[in-house]
Amino acid sequence: MVDISLHLLDLMQNSARAQATRVVLKITENREKDTLTAIVTDNGIGMDEEEKRLALDPFYTTKKGKKVGLGLPLVVQAARMSGGDVKIESHPVSGTTVEVTFSLSHPDRQPLGDIPATLVSFMAGNPDIELSFEYAGDQGTFSMTSSQLFSQEEKETLGQIALLSLAEKRMRAGLAGAGFRPDGGGVIG
Amino acid sequence: MKSIKDLERVKEQALADMRVRSSSGSPRVTVGMGTCGIAAGARETMLAIIDELKKRQKLDVTITETGCIGLCAKEPIVEVHIPGEPRVVYGNVDVSRARQIVASHLVNRKVVDDWVINIRKEDE
Repeated sequence: MVDISLHLLDLMQNSARAQATRVVLKITENREKDTLTAIVTDNGIGMDEEEKRLALDPFYTTKKGKKVGLGLPLVVQAARMSGGDVKIESHPVSGTTVEVTFSLSHPDRQPLGDIPATLVSFMAGNPDIELSFEYAGDQGTFSMTSSQLFSQEEKETLGQIALLSLAEKRMRAGLAGAGFRPDGGGVIG
Repeated sequence: MKSIKDLERVKEQALADMRVRSSSGSPRVTVGMGTCGIAAGARETMLAIIDELKKRQKLDVTITETGCIGLCAKEPIVEVHIPGEPRVVYGNVDVSRARQIVASHLVNRKVVDDWVINIRKEDE
């Protein structure tokens, strides 16, 4: 994975596989504390203590017929090589929260990447999941919920492709207004 | 129902109904979005497909995703299914191939043979 937004898409896909109906992604950049935090929360089937422990093992997977499960181990590697870490909170039934932290100014931190692309592609593949997104940076904030991104009229008249294009446009505009930079800020500034 | 022939007629009718059901509806594009797909660029592939469909005003297509199908070396993998036609699975679909697949297969109904990794009949 070349940037953080791809790791986040992978974590969100885990939520979808865990039968979540609601997924929340929160990204916070804090230059003062030199942290970049991304939190994925879902209301899926969750994990028990044993599964939670095994989730970070690249040779553990819940998929039948597969021998590796690389999503979480790759996130952990990306976080740890930049002075951060991954925290998992999960309970059967109530869902899972994965919190990934990075040191914002660390030279080995991957760029934040194309977050709107991550959100749109997730919405395309998971139209029944309500996706919420919050971004808080030093220059502003942006938040959205997939169900409230369109007016009733748009939902009734536009098809999936037109709605996804519109979603991408709106999210890019909203994030640009909040001072979001795909390179994640902090490295040069 | 009195004989085996009657039973066979019922079976044939049911199969015909199923064929009508499965071949109705809009064309469907499925993108592999497992960890391997994402790492290989499936997100950009999906966005390119959406963008190209929008540009060409081909808005009746349904786009969806699937997980890893076990052919990680061929990711990003894209399946195009036009109702009534075989399902065509393409491999190594980068942004440029994605746009060409939309233009050739979805708009002009011409399969791009060079990138096909599997073709499945509809009822397989």
